[in-house]
Amino acid sequence: MNLLSILARRLPQLVAVLAGITIVTFLLLRLAPGDPARLLAGDRANAETIAAIRQQYGLDLPLWRQFLVYVGNLVTGDIGRSLRFQQPVADIILRFMWPTLFLAGYVVCLAVPPTIVLAIVGARRPGGLADQVIRTFGMVGLAIPVFWLGIMMSRLFGVTLGWFPVSGYGVGFVGHLHHLFLPALSTAIWMVPVLTQSLRAALIDRAGADFVTAARAQGASEREIFWKTILPNSVLPTLNLLGVMVAFLVGGTIIVETVYAVPGLGSLMVAALLGRDYYVVQGLTLVFALATVLVTLLVDLLTGLIDPRVRT
Amino acid sequence: MSNQGLTVSDTPLSRARITPSMVVAIAILCAWLAVAIAAPLLAPYDPDAVDIMNMLAPPGADHWFGTDQVGRDVFSRVLFAARVDLFLCVIGVLPPLVIGTTVGLASGYFGGLVDTLFMRVYDLFVAFPFFVLVLAIVGVLGPGLVNFVIALALVGWVSYARLVRAEVLTIRESEYVQAAQCLGYRPGVIVLRHVLPNAIGPVIAYAVSDAVLVMLAGASFGFLGMGAQPPTAEWGVMIADGQAFVQQAWWICLFPGLAAVSLGLGFAFLGDGLGQMQRRQVTP
Amino acid sequence: MNAQAQTQPLLRVENLAISFASIEAVKGISFDLLPGEILGIVGESGSGKSITCRALMGLLPGTAKVGGSVRLDGGELLTLSEADWCAIRGREMGMIFQNPASHLDPLRRIGAQVAAPMVRHLGISRGEGLRRAASLLEAVGIREPEKRLRSYPHEFSGGMKQRAMIAAAIGCSPKLLIADEPTTALDVTVQARILRLLKDLNRERGLAVILISHDLGVVADICSRVVVMRGGEVVEQGPVAEVIDRPRHAYTRLLIDSQPGRKVLPQPKAAPEAAAPLLGVERLSVSFPARPGSIAGFGTRTADVLALDGVDIHVNAGETVGIVGESGSGKSTLARAIVRQNRPKSGSLRFDGEDVLALSGEALTRFRRRVQMVFQNPYDSLNPRMTIAEAVAEPIWRHGLADRRAAAKQADELLEMMELPAHLRNRKPRQLSGGQCQRVGLARALALKPQLLIADEITSALDVTTQAQILELLMRLQRERALALLYISHDLSVVGSICKRVYVFKAGQVVETGPARQVLSAPRHAYTQELVGSLAHLPSAATTHETGAMPHHAP
Repeated sequence: MNLLSILARRLPQLVAVLAGITIVTFLLLRLAPGDPARLLAGDRANAETIAAIRQQYGLDLPLWRQFLVYVGNLVTGDIGRSLRFQQPVADIILRFMWPTLFLAGYVVCLAVPPTIVLAIVGARRPGGLADQVIRTFGMVGLAIPVFWLGIMMSRLFGVTLGWFPVSGYGVGFVGHLHHLFLPALSTAIWMVPVLTQSLRAALIDRAGADFVTAARAQGASEREIFWKTILPNSVLPTLNLLGVMVAFLVGGTIIVETVYAVPGLGSLMVAALLGRDYYVVQGLTLVFALATVLVTLLVDLLTGLIDPRVRT
Repeated sequence: MSNQGLTVSDTPLSRARITPSMVVAIAILCAWLAVAIAAPLLAPYDPDAVDIMNMLAPPGADHWFGTDQVGRDVFSRVLFAARVDLFLCVIGVLPPLVIGTTVGLASGYFGGLVDTLFMRVYDLFVAFPFFVLVLAIVGVLGPGLVNFVIALALVGWVSYARLVRAEVLTIRESEYVQAAQCLGYRPGVIVLRHVLPNAIGPVIAYAVSDAVLVMLAGASFGFLGMGAQPPTAEWGVMIADGQAFVQQAWWICLFPGLAAVSLGLGFAFLGDGLGQMQRRQVTP
Repeated sequence: MNAQAQTQPLLRVENLAISFASIEAVKGISFDLLPGEILGIVGESGSGKSITCRALMGLLPGTAKVGGSVRLDGGELLTLSEADWCAIRGREMGMIFQNPASHLDPLRRIGAQVAAPMVRHLGISRGEGLRRAASLLEAVGIREPEKRLRSYPHEFSGGMKQRAMIAAAIGCSPKLLIADEPTTALDVTVQARILRLLKDLNRERGLAVILISHDLGVVADICSRVVVMRGGEVVEQGPVAEVIDRPRHAYTRLLIDSQPGRKVLPQPKAAPEAAAPLLGVERLSVSFPARPGSIAGFGTRTADVLALDGVDIHVNAGETVGIVGESGSGKSTLARAIVRQNRPKSGSLRFDGEDVLALSGEALTRFRRRVQMVFQNPYDSLNPRMTIAEAVAEPIWRHGLADRRAAAKQADELLEMMELPAHLRNRKPRQLSGGQCQRVGLARALALKPQLLIADEITSALDVTTQAQILELLMRLQRERALALLYISHDLSVVGSICKRVYVFKAGQVVETGPARQVLSAPRHAYTQELVGSLAHLPSAATTHETGAMPHHAP
């Protein structure tokens, strides 16, 4: 019931954000220079086709009417039709969604354990040798272009050594694991430094907190202090990173899927952008935004579960 | 009166200490700046000169970094590309920095409707993954560097504004700002003379770190075909060009990537060092 | 007392020396603690008293070098391994800290935190630990202990948090409790109650206590012996009464003389009762919206909190008026309302006959020149990016009273008047001591030659000796410049020693007002009586109370 109250408190903001997302995605298409109908119809279309398209998509209506139509369609789950696939965008997104979800989960599995280990090792002696090395490697990881890393790794592990396939999604769970290893690894290499830095900072900050001194003065051993006091208190700031992580994940997967030709939402997005398949772009932007909002909400609820100060 | 000496006397020196990694970072950045300016002097070949007789030549005495699929000299192209990528870092960071700082100052210091409005916009912007929104805007506006910079400015200012706002909110409550209000200084004077100088430090540090992200995004957009357009020499574009030939000619991809990493490291270390200096100023 | 002196000391500290890198923080100090006694360690910031007590608990960071010997019941502590320390901390010796709010884990329930040391050291079950925790909470004066076990720290008030900390520290019945400035972060009335609790625990359980404090009054209140520290050395130690009555060391004497209310500060002759007061505040109310969340959406209720509830005060030209109250009493809200930093809900504010709330434009600027304010935090009140000379000169030229060069010259004169050496003029605030910063703040406030100066807790962040100097300076300036002074403080004795009239604030209202002498010696309102009762007096100061602390005349 505490969680419900958090939910209730977040609800107005949530509604506002959802409304905002709707408006932004709607306006996105109107950003395109020139006549949208002409753009939708393609370069070779004649005036008649353009007029037909204008009518079909309701582009002859005033802007606010178009928006209402858009919202009405959204409510019924209709987010437009792909020009290239000639299919509802929702269906296409559902089809391309699984490789991306799988990849995202894979990345999280690959990124989280090293993050925790590296952060703890670094935070144990801030400024020590291990910490310096970890920080330096983190910096390098941050500065590496993911797509370049992907290409280089596919060349090394895929072509030269032949350990992993360099494209596609594979068949079956093990096939997915095998095919997506390099894409997931390249993304993880990019993400681990960001996460490590933040968890390390949180750990160091909490290790110097007054309540840690108090626990020590009450005779708690260092091990007990770490697991029962420092770690739980460091989880909170790290939780907020989950939101950041999603943004990174989405950005990373878009590029990595293109490099490794994984048939996921990222490749779909890039193909749609290059092919000017605007409704797909719009739909994907909407889906990515909704996913982010969902994760943020989840983080808020988790924070509420852990932190009594938020609940009251 | 000197009994506070222990805590106070040791701060002034540590205040502006520059770490060795920052020196390296500044050296890297200066080197790239020099390369970008002097590219025509340093490059042994015309970066766009096609040489069909010399396609996919491996690195050697004639072509230090080899040639690409149409025989262009990779070394010369890497040097010339520095102009595009370095320029991108600056032009991609400055507009969001300026817009964001202005909005953040107004929102944080004056509060009220401006602030409420900004917070709503902020809530909205964080709902979109940064990369997706920039990509979508560029996609709709049309690929190209100009549109990329426009999209960055449209999306990027929000995080700067948020950062400045948070700084200003604390500074606004500080007693020296209250004193300035009591002394009857005009709001503009207080904001520019007393608030901004104390708020800007972390923002600069963030902007330098942000340059890494902008550079990577710029290269990524070039790679995806949404940024700089071929045949412009740009590291991302070069890597994209080379991808198809990576099995025979790894050098086309390797060198532009290394160039990007080194420039990125320069910004990353500088940003990190600046950030630490900020933190040290707060903690004494 | 005499019987105690024969027994073996519980804790014997010999030649304890602590250094960090090249800095010697504690330079070979020695003292004993007898079983069941309360020993006070007194000193100002930088005296090494807190570092000493951390060394007694083995809580110094690894970078510290510790020499000498500390023996508890004859056993050497300084050579203990970390594992042995863990067996002693919390079991044989407990410790409580200055800021109870930050020393409790925000994520764990009070019950679990109080029970944890017992579960750890006594090997009892969690359930048994909680049961004992309940009786401990009751013993330290927390009502409904069963219910409070399930509370989180943020649901406790400051005083309750400190009580919970004490409960956790005494759970394993240690022989010794080290209390590091345990009441400094608390309101005076709460402070008195916590001190009483410590004294009771000492008497009922035979618990020996080391009380570290910057406040000689607090130490004198409950300690039997006192150790005076300065710059890492013990300058004097002995029974409290002896040290205070017959201090042998000059520093001890300075410390005693610096106690607020101890020294008679010359006050200006009472200004002739003007027909209209300089500042008149009538039925002033200020309210703040109480926002439950940080980002309030629509639909969240905003019940207003009255920070100031119909307050009447007045200040005559050249008069010194004090305002006393605890945190949250609305005294700072009043100061901010007078300088127009918040918007009163109702009531009127008149300065020299003008309606302050209606001022704008040029008239407001003129008002700004006539009413100035000095703030609490010495470092926070100066812009860290400006040199102190710039900070003092800025108001002069911004108000067009002089050009920049002349303003700089005036600033130098002001700094000199504040007894600041000229070579400091180009320093930044962080390169100065707290007392020096406060002098700069004063200089800046006086740069516009105001008629009314509001001083909001300007000495509460300073050491007592520095406080005494600042107060003396303030009184001199007030005399020389015929300033009206509104002095706001939580410290009744400071206000009593420099002000002619006082207002006592509680929960946004004036509960008592009158001549300082009368309010201090014969308080009428129950709350004022409690405040006066909480005043920690030096034993001998109490005897001179009637004559010395309450000046009747200027010398």
